[in-house]
Amino acid sequence: MEVKITTNTEILTTDGIPLRVSLKKTERKNKLRAFLLVFPLLLFILITFVVPIGDMLMRSVDDSHINTVFPKTFEEYEKWDGQDLPPEEVYRAIFDELATGEGIQVGKALTRMNYSKSGWKSLIKKTRRQIKKIVKSGELPVSYKDTLIEIHKGWGDPTFWIAMNQMINETTSIYYWNAMDRTFDIDGSVVKQNEERRIYVRTWWRTLEVSIYVTFFCLILGFPVAHLLANLPLRYSNLLMIFVLLPFWTSLLVRTTAWIVMLQQNGVINGILVWLGIINDDQRIQMVYNMTGTIIAMTQILLPFMILPLYSVMKVIPKSHMRAAQNLGAKPARAFYKVYLPQTIPGISAGGLLVFVLAIGYYITPALVGGKDGQLIGHWIAYHLKTTLNWGLCSALGSILLVLMLVLYWLYNKIVGIDNIKLG
Amino acid sequence: MLKFIKAFLFASVCALFSFSASAVTVASWGGAYTESQIKAYADTYSDPSAIQFENYNGGLGEVRAQVESGNVAWDLVDVLPDEAITGCDEGLFEDISGEYDNFVAAENGDGLIADMAANGVENLSDCCGPQIFWTYVVFFDPSAFPADKQPSKIADFFDVENYPGKRGVHTWANGFIQMALVADGIAPKGVYKVLKSQSGAIDRAFGVMDKIKDHIVHWSAGAQPLELVSSGEVSMSIAYNGRVGAAVLSEGANFEYIWEGQLLEQEYLCLMTGAPNRDQAMDFLIHATSPASQAEQAKYITYGPMRASGIDIIKAGEPWFHTGIDVMPHMPNTPERLKISVMGDPEWWSDNGAEIDERYAAWMGN
Repeated sequence: MEVKITTNTEILTTDGIPLRVSLKKTERKNKLRAFLLVFPLLLFILITFVVPIGDMLMRSVDDSHINTVFPKTFEEYEKWDGQDLPPEEVYRAIFDELATGEGIQVGKALTRMNYSKSGWKSLIKKTRRQIKKIVKSGELPVSYKDTLIEIHKGWGDPTFWIAMNQMINETTSIYYWNAMDRTFDIDGSVVKQNEERRIYVRTWWRTLEVSIYVTFFCLILGFPVAHLLANLPLRYSNLLMIFVLLPFWTSLLVRTTAWIVMLQQNGVINGILVWLGIINDDQRIQMVYNMTGTIIAMTQILLPFMILPLYSVMKVIPKSHMRAAQNLGAKPARAFYKVYLPQTIPGISAGGLLVFVLAIGYYITPALVGGKDGQLIGHWIAYHLKTTLNWGLCSALGSILLVLMLVLYWLYNKIVGIDNIKLG
Repeated sequence: MLKFIKAFLFASVCALFSFSASAVTVASWGGAYTESQIKAYADTYSDPSAIQFENYNGGLGEVRAQVESGNVAWDLVDVLPDEAITGCDEGLFEDISGEYDNFVAAENGDGLIADMAANGVENLSDCCGPQIFWTYVVFFDPSAFPADKQPSKIADFFDVENYPGKRGVHTWANGFIQMALVADGIAPKGVYKVLKSQSGAIDRAFGVMDKIKDHIVHWSAGAQPLELVSSGEVSMSIAYNGRVGAAVLSEGANFEYIWEGQLLEQEYLCLMTGAPNRDQAMDFLIHATSPASQAEQAKYITYGPMRASGIDIIKAGEPWFHTGIDVMPHMPNTPERLKISVMGDPEWWSDNGAEIDERYAAWMGN
């Protein structure tokens, strides 16, 4: 592009447009082209990532459907002072809405009501059948309250009415409270869940515990292997690399089952220990169907995710650094700690984060080898998704997991710095 | 060249659509179970190529997602009984009760409903056709116990003093709870009556379960109990009866059942709301639920036909199993075994199951 310098120092291109403008134009074109190039990817991320996560967050607080089925009942319910049983108007409203409500809509509402208290489902279904008969006969009841209680004694049970308090708002935080073993009282205050049903807090802790253990053991076991891989002569390190990758390419289920064969009481390891006389036949160690088994199997399965980033970082650390440090008088341990280790931090953090993130959502392996300790939070997400259809609680559990990850990521960024990560 | 590629792609997309549009898609559990369905229902159907089976992992999650999004890909789904009820309530499955009269009648003239009632089942869902009985049953390897002290009743499962060894139990509550109540002296027929009427019944069941709590190895996949028992990890285990039957009949394992207290659960084929090939799917459903098809399935897997007349066909045709062995010793719903079995009440379970499962999880973890 030819340029000529004018007197007022504004630079113009040959066609008389100021260079500044012309450059901007080309730049804009380039930007547009770049944007068009990434657009498909952007769209892909939007559809497969942003929208579903948004939907999940919405579902975790949404309670609007049931409000479209029982609007009048809830309106009357809110006037009730919470003493004894609700007044006649509430019974009348629910009678009417059950009589006129469309079957499928009521059916969906029933599934929702049953989360708050078991028994709603059959209570309403039985009542609905009777109500249809009454409406057909044309003789409307004198007292709706008495009639309903006569149809099913559940209507005289205050616990059902207390549970209704959880559904009357179109948005709700109940799922989040449920995910932390809390529920609502009749006056809307948050109370602890019935002791027999407190499982989620414990499951959260157990999930974190397993993930931390697995990450720790992966680091302890993976670090020396990665170091060997990076420093052995090529023909040995290639062979070693195959040993690392071979299990990585093997089916997850095969590896999990193989661990059962190894660890069970009549398994390979116990067999060898008994054969060597280290333990007696009746002292076989319980190594699987518990927490130990879960951690062992998950560590082995996730190990490559620690080794590979570590390896890629260690590969480029010059060997001369350690030699120089020792040359300057540092003992090997000190040279390692002061010179080598800091340079591997990007690999440690990448591997640690990868392993931890994968471990926290693990589902199949703990279920197979974990026995009674095998139900991590992923189990309950799947359970509510498939079995109880409680998608609200399912979404709340998922959202908490997401937030937990974001918090960890934020913490990590604060402590180590996110530029300090190297995935390979 | 480019044109050719375009034309080819277009044609293959069209072919894909026309192919998937013409076949009735049945979603089922996969494995040996789906194999038996293909052999007994699809291969005996007038047009086997019109039926294709697809695997899914159970639950109503996918069904609900398909119906809610209006993008229904399946025609029939193989579901558990409580899911048949919930799915029907929620409108995920189509109400076909008006067409039950068109279903194939039994030899003795009983229609679908009466034929099932003869087996102790009231058709609880209006949207589905009956499939099989599958059961939670206790089994053991006789060589794990002395010949004069073989376990024989469900109470023995809860008695580790006289029948030593660990017990294999699944990681959810259904089946185990009912067995605990039968072991505690409640008649199998009365288990659900007690559960419904006595508020302390669940506590009572947990009290019985406490007795063997420290001796339980928990499993979560259907193949695990067989491995647990044959490797000697446990001496007795609860399992799906069809898995035990397959191990004995096809692999020559030596296992014995304790039929007392087994929990009979039903299995249904349900018609999806908005099924793409509704009419042919209905026609296939009628074929698949006929007594002959139901009996045919027992040639390949030891789950029991839900229609009582299916059992009669099997009995008359022994040796019925496809390898030429008698299959009646493994059928869970012979008249004698029905007397000592608990008949599942899916309606009650769909009401209370979630709460009991949570309590069971809390119990396991303590």
